[in-house]
Amino acid sequence: MNILFDTRFALRSLRRDIKAGELRVLALAVLVAVASVTAVGFFTDRVGQAMVRQASDILAADLLATTGSPVSDEISDKAASLGLATARHVRFPSIVINPQDESQLVAVKAVTSGYPLRGALKLAKLDSPEVAAPLPTPAPGTVWVDAQLVNILLLKQGSTLTLGARDFSVDRLLVFEPDRGENVFELAPRVMINNDDLESAGLLGPGSRARYTLMMAGEPSAQATMSQWLKDNHDTIRVIGVENGSPQMQRALNRAKQFLGLASVVTVLLAGAAIALAVRQFALRQADASAVIRTLGASRANVVSWLSLRLLFVCIAASLVGIAIGAVAQLVLADLMETWFSLELPSPSLWPPVIGVITAIAAVAGFGLLPVLKAGRVPVMRVLQRDYSGLQTNAWLTLLFGLIAAMVIVWLQSRDIRLTAIVVLGVAVMLGVFALFGQYLIKLVRRLAPARFKLSVAGLQRRAASSAVQLAAFAIGILALLLITLVRVDILSAWERDLPANAPNVFVINIQPSQVEGFSQQLLSQDIDITGMYPMVRARLQGSNGEAATGRRTRWEYNLSHSDDLPANNEITAGQWWDGSETGLPGLSLESDWAEDMGYDIGDTITFNVAGVEATGVVKNLRKVDWESFQVNFFVVAEKRLLQDMPETYVTSFYLDDNFSTATASWARAFPGIATLDIGSIIVRVKQLMDRASMAVEYVFLFTLLAGICVLLAAVQSTQGERIRESALLRALGASHSQIRSAIITEFVLLGAMAGLLASVFATIIGWSLSRYVFELPFQFSIILWVLGVVGGALGIGLAGYLATKKVLTTPPVVALRHT
Amino acid sequence: MQSEVTSQAPGTPVLSGEQIEKTVTGPAGSLTILHAVDIEIRAGEVVAIVGPSGSGKSTLLGILAGLDQASSGAVSMLQQPLGEMDEDSRARLRAGKVGFVFQSFQLLPGLTALENVMLPLELSRHTDAKITAMNMLTEVGLAERADHHPLQLSGGEQQRVAIARAFVSNPELLFADEPTGNLDAETGQRIIDLMFDLRKEKGSALVLVTHDEKLAARCDRRLVMDSGRLHAS
Repeated sequence: MNILFDTRFALRSLRRDIKAGELRVLALAVLVAVASVTAVGFFTDRVGQAMVRQASDILAADLLATTGSPVSDEISDKAASLGLATARHVRFPSIVINPQDESQLVAVKAVTSGYPLRGALKLAKLDSPEVAAPLPTPAPGTVWVDAQLVNILLLKQGSTLTLGARDFSVDRLLVFEPDRGENVFELAPRVMINNDDLESAGLLGPGSRARYTLMMAGEPSAQATMSQWLKDNHDTIRVIGVENGSPQMQRALNRAKQFLGLASVVTVLLAGAAIALAVRQFALRQADASAVIRTLGASRANVVSWLSLRLLFVCIAASLVGIAIGAVAQLVLADLMETWFSLELPSPSLWPPVIGVITAIAAVAGFGLLPVLKAGRVPVMRVLQRDYSGLQTNAWLTLLFGLIAAMVIVWLQSRDIRLTAIVVLGVAVMLGVFALFGQYLIKLVRRLAPARFKLSVAGLQRRAASSAVQLAAFAIGILALLLITLVRVDILSAWERDLPANAPNVFVINIQPSQVEGFSQQLLSQDIDITGMYPMVRARLQGSNGEAATGRRTRWEYNLSHSDDLPANNEITAGQWWDGSETGLPGLSLESDWAEDMGYDIGDTITFNVAGVEATGVVKNLRKVDWESFQVNFFVVAEKRLLQDMPETYVTSFYLDDNFSTATASWARAFPGIATLDIGSIIVRVKQLMDRASMAVEYVFLFTLLAGICVLLAAVQSTQGERIRESALLRALGASHSQIRSAIITEFVLLGAMAGLLASVFATIIGWSLSRYVFELPFQFSIILWVLGVVGGALGIGLAGYLATKKVLTTPPVVALRHT
Repeated sequence: MQSEVTSQAPGTPVLSGEQIEKTVTGPAGSLTILHAVDIEIRAGEVVAIVGPSGSGKSTLLGILAGLDQASSGAVSMLQQPLGEMDEDSRARLRAGKVGFVFQSFQLLPGLTALENVMLPLELSRHTDAKITAMNMLTEVGLAERADHHPLQLSGGEQQRVAIARAFVSNPELLFADEPTGNLDAETGQRIIDLMFDLRKEKGSALVLVTHDEKLAARCDRRLVMDSGRLHAS
């Protein structure tokens, strides 16, 4: 015998397997697992790549090097030598004057050609609302301005603006500037000019408050090298990479990825369970064939390779179909996301289908190897005497193999060893508990069941072991379906609720203390609810715990605030808020992530320098900030007494449903100096992302649903042989079709209801823990879940059981008794 | 009982067992199924083993065919001592040289009638497996059923396929375990006639386990199994 014979023989048997539907459930389970892994893999791969690009858009580059003095050529040469594309911009505050001699403080940005390296500007002519064709940079002698300045200075297309020593012609309206959000508090109206005009306008003399930025874009490895080089050689330069992108977007996208990852892990595990049941069933049925062909002269190895090849062929064929389905499915997912990213998603890499096939093979091998090896060792004497044992597997060894296989496939999907261990061991424990409780439930039902259910309950009892296994499989299947409902409906909606419909979309900063009263009145008269007016003090970091701060930290400016109460949407994670009775050093409250980055903890003293005056406080507590709330938030909030009499301005945020430009136009004139920022567009984008991510998650859950159905089918199929024999015997003894049918249906309904009950208990526990610990969202107890679990389980399993065992009733008793 | 195809000279022992004992240990203690059984089958010889149910006939057949191992004693098949061989070596020895006919037919449900008949040839690396198997099927009158699967055939047809499978490799030795046990009398008779005709043609030695005395009477020798002991009669 050789591999050629083995293959031919396996293919020959396979033809019959396919015709007889022998491996149908196995193929379906493999297909679902591969399709799900491929679709989610393709999708997260593409979205992951797009996310990086999106983050780059926010910087208008991949990497920024920012400093208070012109960036030396040495640095730009280094970037160029690494193959990075570069551009520069300089930002500084200045004053512009219109022909009516009205002046306005503006934030000037002088850009070189190439800006922006990532993302794109949106421009319009001032006399036409339509987006104009993009231009590379402002032509020398022209400026581009934002809507705020147009409103304040009543500018028109071609208006003259004086900036520094020369006049400029207003050429374009800046509708969208990708990196505007990068420094949200530099909020004076924008004026963009060509870098070449800086000198002729005499704008930058010594001592001017300018920020010089070298923008870079290119290969990730080159970025990493450059970033490290800058940190090593130029520690006064602030380096900003894509990882410091918008925190709101990052969180929203990370959650979407979490949901998708979870859906995919659950799908793969369920499919794994279905594969385990189906492969075992297959090996069991091949036990007799193994004895026969070994009687005729085949070796154990022949049998093992004959069975393995059949499984491998099915696995490969189903994987290929799965990959095709996964590829199509991810197109739909990508389509959902493409409009959101407003750019074409990068093409997927080849990894996801490879991972898909490896997953399928790992599952089939892990769950199937032992039964197949055992099938090769079935006593050949079975051909003569049926009482020789058939397939016998060591339960512990089977469990061990199953656990390893489950670990491998979940790890392939999650790449997180801790998560893998938790999920796999959790599911293993759950299966054990299900099987254990299942046995008790079966006993209980037997005791309580009325006489007319005797036949069904006797059936359950007779197959006690396989009934318990079946019950556990049903419960896992129903559990997955319940969790989908729970996650889909409850957790997703809690997530959406998390971002209120009227989240603030406007920030106003630079409100002078003398303007607070008047501006509040103004907003009140326009029926605008504000969340509060927060004092803001600009400070530099001087030192901590008695030591002077060094390096770039001292150059950064921080916005401090003071408050008597814990800000809304903030949660204390360590320490306590002050009650006003404290003496000694005034207290500081730090945002927990920021504190971690800076290496501060409770009890540390920090000294700030506010316009030359030192202010030292002690860290009293750490706060978690809900950035998704879009409220005004501060990294550092101090006790009021620390910042008493320091120069402060106020900041507020609110929801505005009117047109931003018309609503804010009047404020700038009435309250000179204040700056307004429209963050509505960011909120719309985050909301859109959430909507689309929800849809994507629901869509991926379709695979989970299919995998759940596979488990149910495999579990029903696992006792089919036994049932055919039993029902043949009962019919031979005179039982009618309807008696047997109702006994079978009742048995499955009972199993379904018990499984549903167990699943509901666990779904509630898991749903609670997921909300509480993983998604950090409020949990709502749902009675509907229990009704769905028990009633749905009874009806669903009853129907599935009836359909799957129809063959039981149609097989003539004589055939069943002769051939089994 | 001479044959033109068998490789063993007439009278050469093709199967022998000396002092075969079989003891099994169960929950109720150990139980001896075979007591010091001696047996010798010569090339081309037809031997019936009769006896009541549970007397140990099938156990003896299994041990003689190398499907099971004796607790003690020696068995040799085609001049090869089975006691020193592992299971795979015993299987290799059987391949193409030993045929089986079972009470429950034991056809592989996944293969067609033709493929079932090809199986022993392929296992012994026969070159023209398909043609030879087809000729054999024609010989048992099932040429037009070649593409049917076992479950599509009647009991009598299945047993004819099984007989074709048993004889297709011209075995030197054939084991039959209650070959008519699952068939009605008329079909059973036809199957037996077919089996005896083919055996004669191929010259194989035949060990036949049965409790049908009429069938046993057609054999060269009749051995009686009683409570694990074998007697000549």
